Amino acid sequence: MYNILKYLTFFSLVFCSELEIGSVMPKSKVGLKTIDGDIINLLSVKGESGTLVIFSCNTCPWVIKWEDRYVDIAEKYTSKGINMIAINSNVAKFNGDDSLIKMKEHANKMKYNFIYAQDPDAEIANAFGATKTPHVFLFNQDNVLVYRGAIDDNARDAKKVDEAYLANAIDALLENRKIEKKSTKALGCSIKFN
Amino acid sequence: MKKIYIIAISLFFLSCNDVELIPASSLTVIEKINSYRGEKAVILNVWALWCAPCVEEFPMLVEFQKNNENLEVVFVNVDFQDEFENVKSFLVKQGLKSQSFIKNEKDDIFINGINGQWSGSLPYIIVFSKSKGVVVDSWEGKEPKSRFELAIDIALSS
Repeated sequence: MYNILKYLTFFSLVFCSELEIGSVMPKSKVGLKTIDGDIINLLSVKGESGTLVIFSCNTCPWVIKWEDRYVDIAEKYTSKGINMIAINSNVAKFNGDDSLIKMKEHANKMKYNFIYAQDPDAEIANAFGATKTPHVFLFNQDNVLVYRGAIDDNARDAKKVDEAYLANAIDALLENRKIEKKSTKALGCSIKFN
Repeated sequence: MKKIYIIAISLFFLSCNDVELIPASSLTVIEKINSYRGEKAVILNVWALWCAPCVEEFPMLVEFQKNNENLEVVFVNVDFQDEFENVKSFLVKQGLKSQSFIKNEKDDIFINGINGQWSGSLPYIIVFSKSKGVVVDSWEGKEPKSRFELAIDIALSS
């Protein structure tokens, strides 16, 4: 009985831990399939000032509530050297709602102005400890994680946001200030690994 | 006489369908779970109407509770507050008779208040043991019935 308890505790801890703040971006050379059919990796996405990685998908209601802000963030910060990628790691749905074709349709419909790509074996999601969509990871110019978690505190309405966690973190990074909230949480859909 | 009979029947069915859905903070939820320590094993289920796997596994959780008097399932809904009536209707349809909760805190505070290890992904499950109320298993996302059964067995006997 004790061994089973130990196993279950270990299982929970190992598989639920997000990448620690201060970690270097893992799996940055692993291939990702973009909606344009290219194979890229996270190193090739890296921006001069930093890299924003958002685990996302086509159908999660909370992605749909938040994704208007994906576009705003990319528009505001790409020109300032923060490159952005949305990664779809829903392997179990790659033959359905999260196929490359449907991802492309979704990106066009929502006017995505950033890279949208599949994580073929969810290798990157596993390495980041990403568990849900949306799940945000912001790296600085040295590819070190400086912020992780939520976009802001109001999924439903961008106009009613009290704290724009991600934008605050990016602004602080760009202005070389301390990021006050390095880790935040919000609800989201579980990534469908298998 | 006929009217009284109809009223009595209506009241009976109303009481059967009277789900108690309580707005709650993470602290209230934790206090509720702790109140069962030494009496019942507990499954905490955090769910939402918009979460398809949550809705899929809900009947199974109701069955677990119905079939085991030593097990309490604490259901905590995390839809927006204006979904209150829809959540209540869902609970009635599921045949839930016990008290149930709906989150009334911001996500960040609620998630950390429930468990600092939880990322916020749904569905979210924690299984607590009967005797000491310790966590025997927890997970995010959909898992097979066998994982629930194993965790419940451990929770009831530890």
